[in-house]
Amino acid sequence: MKGPGQRSTNALVVLILATMPFWMQYVGGYTELATQVLVMALAAMSLNFLLGFTGTLSFGHAAYFGLGGYGVAMIIKYIAPSTPLGILVGVAVGTIAAMVIGALIIKLRGVYFAMVTIAFGQVFFFIAFRWNSVTGGDDGLTNWKRQALDLGFTRVELLDHALTFYYFVLLIFLLAAACMALILRSPFGRTLLAIRENERKARFLGIPVEHHLWLSFVISCAFCSLAGTLYALLNNFIDPRALYWGQSGNFVIMAVLGGMRSFWGPLVGAAIFVVLQDFISSRTENWMSFVGLFFVLIVLFFPRGVLGMIRRRSSQ
Amino acid sequence: MDRKAPPLKANRRNVLKAGLAVGAAQLAGPFIINARGEEPVKIGLDNPLTGTYAAVGKNELIGCQLAIEQINAKGGILGRHAELVVEDSTSGDSSTAVQKARKLIDRDKVNFLLGNVNSALALAMADVSSEKKVLHIVPGGHTDAVTGATCHWNVFRVCNTTQMEANAVAPALIKNAGKKWYFITPDYAFGHTLQSGLEKAGTRLGYTKLGADLTPLGTTDFSSYLIKAEAAKPDVIIFLTQGDDMINALKQAVQFGLDKRVHLAGAQQELEALEGLPPEARIGTWVFEWYWNQPNVPHVAEFVAAIKKKTGRVPTARTWFGFASTWSCALAANHAKSLDAIKMAKALQGFELPPEVGLMPDKAFYRAGQNQLIGSLFVGNAQAKGSAPDDLFHVAEVVHGKEAAGTLEESGCKMTWPA
Repeated sequence: MKGPGQRSTNALVVLILATMPFWMQYVGGYTELATQVLVMALAAMSLNFLLGFTGTLSFGHAAYFGLGGYGVAMIIKYIAPSTPLGILVGVAVGTIAAMVIGALIIKLRGVYFAMVTIAFGQVFFFIAFRWNSVTGGDDGLTNWKRQALDLGFTRVELLDHALTFYYFVLLIFLLAAACMALILRSPFGRTLLAIRENERKARFLGIPVEHHLWLSFVISCAFCSLAGTLYALLNNFIDPRALYWGQSGNFVIMAVLGGMRSFWGPLVGAAIFVVLQDFISSRTENWMSFVGLFFVLIVLFFPRGVLGMIRRRSSQ
Repeated sequence: MDRKAPPLKANRRNVLKAGLAVGAAQLAGPFIINARGEEPVKIGLDNPLTGTYAAVGKNELIGCQLAIEQINAKGGILGRHAELVVEDSTSGDSSTAVQKARKLIDRDKVNFLLGNVNSALALAMADVSSEKKVLHIVPGGHTDAVTGATCHWNVFRVCNTTQMEANAVAPALIKNAGKKWYFITPDYAFGHTLQSGLEKAGTRLGYTKLGADLTPLGTTDFSSYLIKAEAAKPDVIIFLTQGDDMINALKQAVQFGLDKRVHLAGAQQELEALEGLPPEARIGTWVFEWYWNQPNVPHVAEFVAAIKKKTGRVPTARTWFGFASTWSCALAANHAKSLDAIKMAKALQGFELPPEVGLMPDKAFYRAGQNQLIGSLFVGNAQAKGSAPDDLFHVAEVVHGKEAAGTLEESGCKMTWPA
């Protein structure tokens, strides 16, 4: 997390992201694909906060992702046409849900923790799926649109300006990433690493393990619901599949693909996942097998992910 | 600190660099659309090719392909070549469907968008197409909202609404099977709206609802629902499930011998499902939205022959949905003499499909103010054996969509046009 190497990596990442809409078209992409990469990257990075830096696997992050999405959608559709308010409420809803559920499940470890996160995730999925009158059920929540930003001195149109929306998402993404990096560099963040490496030792050192795990879970879910709000705003649409456990699985795949021990790994993983899916699915209807094959190869040969592999090369 | 960058000189190194850059730009070429005199008119199809709806999605694709061939043979769209760009939307993942719709519109610059089989995805895509102001035709997503509560000026639909299907089949259900109904309904948007449509239509005809069971999508064992349904002693068990669920439910009902004691029937039925059923389970009263065996309707035989030549099988309603949707694009452009979405959408208001595209006894037209295609519905019975191996449905009665569609106000569509 420190040193000139990390600093230049950060600068490079920011540079690549800032110019992405301009070179995306030359590799067969388009602005909204770039935005999609950012949104998925934020979700995968938030999952990795828990998976890579606290050592706890959650298979239910889509629940908070979807709650964020439904939060922003319902605020704009039913209550007030304001994008920032929607984002705030979306994040608040996701975070509060994570606080309550986190408190219930934080004593569990390993596969039991993962399974209970799936179970709670599915609870939210079925609520969204069945509660037709409020959530739109299987049809999803339509007929609302992201609203222009009113900054007082000027209005920023987001709806018909894909590029403006991209930079809006990029700004939030970078702020969120900076927050996560700062938390990880803080003494609290160090205790998370300690818990990951050896929970019993951490406990003997006097770290309140359960409390810190809970906090890590809540922080992770808060950023995930932030990603969910951006996802709903990107599509002007949210449906129960954003809450489905399959979506949580995609986040895990992105994190592992890119490298869960490195900070920017999930970003790389999300970029590969989203672009690969977009690219191959236009060419063959069997695109899932290619994405799956790629994932299997990465896990077999580069267990530290794409970024981990590059790291090791350069340090040799 | 007043170091200035040296001015660029035309030395050998710079010339070589420039040459390399230009060369590299050529490689990137395929993705840049160059200004060409005769660019094809593109129709983007964003429809399931994988998952639960893969079979019906592929049939729609075949219909689209045939239409494109015919359009080009007849001089194209506004004299330009027509081209189909196909993307797999998956069967249920709205984010993929939405992403693909954006890709088709933003990158491929399609002039028309087609899709989707899944009602939820059709609604989501309609949001994208209306945001981007692209003419969008939904071939086969049935939920009422597409041309109802959430209708858009640029979104047209070829298949019927669930309410229309319910209105068309309800009188035949009462006549053939009786007034006491028990529903077996798939638990998602399509099933809910179809059941409520039937309840509305049934109430007008004095039916009694004895019960309803919601079955999760992908149910394989229907025995508990069937036992419960039989215990209620209805005249008829109404199956609203679709696809594999329909096949499993009917198969099991016949295995239990339920068909000997009560009527088994339903609303929407498709040839794809009847093909998957054993002969003894092809029973009951249903409504088809299009059927290939229409002996006295002009042009139908040619269409069936053309599809048979392509695939070796008769067209299903899905094939026709794709065919009529693609043709509607060409007709809209040629009628409006423009590729401007607003002009084309205006041209389609009340537009009547020519008989070689409509392919049904009644004249099919897009109802103005709702953008819903209103044609014929085919009410009849599934049959174990017909005049030909593919003839699995006996059409007893053709209901004109006008009688089934209700009024424009009832559809709930309030259309607003861009200024």
